[in-house]
Formats: sequence, C-alpha cells, structure tokens
Amino acid sequence: MNKLIFPALVALCLSAVAALAGPERYLLDAEKSKVGFAVPFGPDRIRGTFPVREADIVLDFERASNSTVSVVLDVGQAQANFPFATQAMRGPKVLAADTHPDITFVSRSVAAQDGGAIVSGDITIRGVTRPIDLRADVFRPKGTELGDRAVLSVVLSGNVARSDFGATGWADLVGDTVTLDIRVQVNQAK
Amino acid sequence: MNTETRYGWVSRLIHWLMALGVIAMLGLGAYIVRMEVGFSNLWLFGVHKSIGMMLFALIILRLIWHRISAPPAPMPAEAAWQDSAARIAHRSFYVLLVLIPIFGYIGSAASGLDVLLFERWKVPSVVPVSEAWEDGAFLVHSILTKLLAALVLIHIAAAIKRRDGTLRRMLLGSAEARVA
Repeated sequence: MNKLIFPALVALCLSAVAALAGPERYLLDAEKSKVGFAVPFGPDRIRGTFPVREADIVLDFERASNSTVSVVLDVGQAQANFPFATQAMRGPKVLAADTHPDITFVSRSVAAQDGGAIVSGDITIRGVTRPIDLRADVFRPKGTELGDRAVLSVVLSGNVARSDFGATGWADLVGDTVTLDIRVQVNQAK
Repeated sequence: MNTETRYGWVSRLIHWLMALGVIAMLGLGAYIVRMEVGFSNLWLFGVHKSIGMMLFALIILRLIWHRISAPPAPMPAEAAWQDSAARIAHRSFYVLLVLIPIFGYIGSAASGLDVLLFERWKVPSVVPVSEAWEDGAFLVHSILTKLLAALVLIHIAAAIKRRDGTLRRMLLGSAEARVA
C-alpha cells in the first residue's frame, strides 16, 4: 500500500511544483525602474528617461513563450539631460505629448535566446505602431538565492528609428536612431 | 541732441553699438549655421537670439529717438544718383534691421522651443508652433540677412570712400574739425 501512496504523493508534489513554475505576474517597482534612451547629437548624445505609467508583466521561466509584457510610458513627463531637449522631445515636432501622451509597447512573442530572450512586439509612438525586437535579460538582485524569483531586475535593449513614427523634428541636429536602455525592477505579485 | 549739422552722442552711440552688434551677428550667424551642434556650442544659439533681440530694441529706440531729435540731413554727394542711392540704402537698413529679428523670432518661436533673453527671461510666443511657419520665417531671415550683409559692405565702402566728413560726423558728431 505504502509503495503506491509514496509515488502518488511525489507525483502530486511534482505537479504542484510544475504549477508553481508557470506564468507569474510581476509588478513594476517604479522607484527602481528606468526607461532610458539615448540619441546622437553632433559629437554628443542626448540621454533621458521616460516614467512608466502602467506595466503588466507576466514571466514564465519554464516556457518563455508564455511570457507577456505590456508597458505604457508617460511622454508628458519625459526628461532629457538638458532643458531644451526636454521641451523639443515633448513638442509637436518629436513626440507630440499633447496629442499623443503615451508610448505603448505590447509583446507578441517571447523567445529564449543565449540565456536571455528576444521580446518581439509592437511599439506605438505618436499613434504610429511598428514592430520592434527587444533583447531581454533577467537578473536576480545580489544576495538572493538561486531560484528566488520574488524580485527580479529586467534589462531590455533595442533601437527605434524615430522617422518611422513621424518624430522627425531637428533631423539636421539630432540622429534618427534612438537607443533604448530599459532597466526595471519587478516584484512577484502576491 | 542732434542738430541740423551734427549728430548728438545718443545717435552716435546707438549707431556704433548697432554697427558692432550687426557685424558680430552676421559673423556669428554664419558660423552657427555651419557648425556641428553639440552640448559645447549650443549656447551660441542663445547668444545669437539675445543679441538679436537687443539689436531690435536698439533699432526701435533709434527710430523713436530720431522722432524726438531729428538727425542732420545727409551731406550732399558728388552726383544726384549717389544721394538717391544713399537714401535708399539708409531706408533699407531700417527695414532690414526691423524685419530680420522679427523673422528670427517667428522662426524660433514657431519651433516650439522657448525664446529666452540671456538664457533667463522667456519671451512670450505669439505665433503658432508650426514647421511651415518655422521654415518660412527662417528662410526669409536668411535671405534678408544676406541682403543686410551686402548693404553693410556697401555702407562701409561708401563711408570710407567719401571724403566729405560723413564718417567723421558719425564718429565725432561734426563733419569739420572744431576750430579753437
């Protein structure tokens, strides 16, 4: 009898573990997150950040393809590293914050690659939606144990051509390729 | 005050301040449209706009001052056509010196960026934020500036060429040396 019960208990425990390892919803820690960008400006680079208005993140470490990410950025509060760039970026010639207050990203697929993942999705800037691939790497904070996924750091990187979205202002002074450097901390939802 | 034959110190001061400012601005403007813009030289745009607004204030002050204290009549040239040419050139100076900063301001304000006086005081915007307005205004600003540059060269050449005391009158007030 015991010989039958024990494997059954083990099977039950394993299935419970498998269930636990499924998709997990994570909440963004806005204080410890930064959506950064950089764009060439003559010999220099304009850098800045966007605050995250909303984020919905589901991660599945067993099957990356089950993971989903959607993020809404607040264009009206975007900051660059000097005041004129902030004003120019929010203005009608670039991001047009008055008429398009959000930048949104919605993932379509996530594929594991080289220890990280490629997050493919659609980004909408100035009301124009284009596909984009972001390289994603997930890290545990220092001091946490292997397998502890309660708090994670996610680094996403990619590029967009601002002209693809009609954000063509000051094209003679500012480059077209905008490098995205997104570093967010997420906490497992309880 | 100006008299029928002399320029007073106010007119002369405004003239020479504007002369310095205009020549400096022509050089600065030519430089900034060609330079590779970066953090290290972005401030030059602010300097250009600020000096431009000061020159606009000076030309308005000059026009007002000449209503209060009429300048002496031009000294007669050797030929009648030269008098006509000088009169057209002087009027063109006034028109250009009024219009160039106005169109520079319209282009700057239409870009959607604040127009600041000496990086401190925001000049109110009275034009719509529009690329068409911006491009059109800067095109006019550029064309008028080239006309002004040509006019400045003609003006300097004519002032040097004339030996009738015209230049001395603007430098020292009177066309003739004072007799003790």
